Amino acid sequence: MSTSAEIAIEREGGTVVARLNGEVDMTNASYVGDELTRAVPNDAVGLVIDLSGTRYLDSAAIELLFELARRLQRRRQQLRLALPSDSPLRRVLLLTDIASAAPVYDSVREALSDG
Amino acid sequence: MQRPDRSQEAVAALGLRALSGIDTAELTEEALAVIAEQLPGTRPSVEEGDGFALSVPIPGSGGPVGAIGLRTEEPREFDPGEVAFVQSVANILGAATERARAERSEGVFRELADNAPVMIWTTDPDGLVTFVNTGWLEFTGTTFEEELGESWTLGVHPDDSRRVADSWYEALAMREPWSMEYRLRARDGEFRWIVDRGVPRWSDDGEFVGYVGTASDIHERKQMEEALRRVYEREHRVAETLQRSLLPEKLPEIEGVTLAARYLPAGEGAAVGGDWYDAAELPDGRVALVVGDVVGHGLRAAAVMGQLRNAFRAYAITEASPAAIVARLNRLVMTGGEGVMATVLYLALDRDTGEVSYASAGHPPPLLLTPEGPRYLEGGRSVPVGAADIVTFREETTTMPPGSTLLLYTDGLVERRDTPLEDRLGQLAAAATASSGDMEDLCDEILQGVLGGADPADDVALLAVRPTPIDAHRLDLSLPAEPEQLARLRRRLSRFLHAVGASDEEAYEVTLTISEAAGNAIEHAYGPGDASFRVQAVVENGEIVVVVRDSGQWRDPRGHAPTGGGRGRGLSIIEGLMENVEIVREAHGTTVRMRRRLRAAVEA
Repeated sequence: MSTSAEIAIEREGGTVVARLNGEVDMTNASYVGDELTRAVPNDAVGLVIDLSGTRYLDSAAIELLFELARRLQRRRQQLRLALPSDSPLRRVLLLTDIASAAPVYDSVREALSDG
Repeated sequence: MQRPDRSQEAVAALGLRALSGIDTAELTEEALAVIAEQLPGTRPSVEEGDGFALSVPIPGSGGPVGAIGLRTEEPREFDPGEVAFVQSVANILGAATERARAERSEGVFRELADNAPVMIWTTDPDGLVTFVNTGWLEFTGTTFEEELGESWTLGVHPDDSRRVADSWYEALAMREPWSMEYRLRARDGEFRWIVDRGVPRWSDDGEFVGYVGTASDIHERKQMEEALRRVYEREHRVAETLQRSLLPEKLPEIEGVTLAARYLPAGEGAAVGGDWYDAAELPDGRVALVVGDVVGHGLRAAAVMGQLRNAFRAYAITEASPAAIVARLNRLVMTGGEGVMATVLYLALDRDTGEVSYASAGHPPPLLLTPEGPRYLEGGRSVPVGAADIVTFREETTTMPPGSTLLLYTDGLVERRDTPLEDRLGQLAAAATASSGDMEDLCDEILQGVLGGADPADDVALLAVRPTPIDAHRLDLSLPAEPEQLARLRRRLSRFLHAVGASDEEAYEVTLTISEAAGNAIEHAYGPGDASFRVQAVVENGEIVVVVRDSGQWRDPRGHAPTGGGRGRGLSIIEGLMENVEIVREAHGTTVRMRRRLRAAVEA
């Protein structure tokens, strides 16, 4: 029994969309962070992480989101998060104020269409 | 991201490469590369030498034909699993080498046959040799006189002479045609196989005048047949080794269910089949079970079985429905081509609700043993995988009453030419119901009751599953303070919180706070086995009350925590999500007490 997460990458115009399915905790957080960083080429405008299929995030995983936002910002790229309004993770993410580093939208579509 | 152990997959892939008939030298190179990849830090080689950290023989029909030796940078021990893996690779090389040898021998045989002198002989009516031609004499290296009369028998191999003499004199007495394969001493002193055929002759007056016969040197052909027979036996053993290495040695320990399994290979003389079973815990908390039977035998079936088993684990994690998983297995087998088919039964079980959903691709129905009696789960049936490209795979859902046991098996258990299937299924249900022991006894009694101690004609796999009830009132769990335990903690908490009626959001938040409370011990334990943590939870008055005890010290979040914001964030999460948080730091460890209202809590 171990923690597993799957990342599916797509390109929507200038933005990379990464679907993060599964669970992320301290055992796989840095690995997931590296994979997500690797998925964003220099010419991309930004990264949207789709958290609709994410079942669990702990403080290490949330820390990685902050770190990822910082890494991307150094490259003038933006991180956005897509999370359905009824997701069990919502309250926790808002509690950690992740929105200050990466805006949180209700869906990938909204995250992409906001200018 | 999960890093699956790929050594079984690698062995299966190598086996397929060997079957594809590639050059032995190339196969050897690939085999060594596979070992180096699976066992990093080793340098495998088939060269002779010393200083090997591990040396494993490459088997041949007359003894080892070589060895795979591993050198390492630093001294290192190999565990039994690793040694078995290298041995599996060596077995594949051994089988491929043997086959290549047999094929070369065939070439030599053809050349000889084109130039082979024919040996001719005649006898008188009493069966005494009256003539042999130069071809015979060139073979035996004897003189004409030495072969006359009965003395030709002196050249027959001692182990064959009784057989030759008996059959010859019997035919002679009946004046019937005679034919025999035996060993005759050749001119170099060695015995060679010949096939000797004689027919009776009659004069124009109808009088029996003796026999005329011809003999041919079949030594190379005989040897090739021998080699092929040994290759087949070795292939059978390799397929068995492959299959054994691909079966789970023991089933994983899955919290909340008891599992037991049996695997019986078919009796001696039957080809190795492709039966397999597996069990895995799914990310959504359900337990997935699979049983399968690849049609066909030998190396190919075992290799395909390995592919299906690995695919099951990968697909079960990503797909939700049994029908979708079986559909993906079908695509996998169809793209493999070559008419491979398999029956598969996939089943996903919710340990807490007892809900079972399943799909059967041509596979016998699972048997559900409930307190009220047995019943077969007949729904969700489709054709086997690998039968057709476009297939609708069906699934069915039902509920296991508390106290039930589920049985999955392969058709080797119930297929018999002489008995109708329904009768056999009835026998299975009766044997299963009659058993009152634990799971291991259940498996043994089923096999005894259905097979009656006889060897099955086809492989038999049997997998028994019994969910264990959970206490919905209190939780008391101790775990080692290691990061890998976090997933296990979540599984356990998820079941408990579900049972007490927490919503998905509440379950996540409570699980998160408990994990964060345990996280400090996990991050700062001094070494493996050094520390553990204990979680106790109870629901009272609509509130969940949790105590997490560990033997670590909480870092001051405002101080210099080595993980930067991590631990500090963890503490603020706890305080944000739980209503009363109390942290007591003492010399021997830290205790975190917290509580929170649950909207729809079940009262203790």
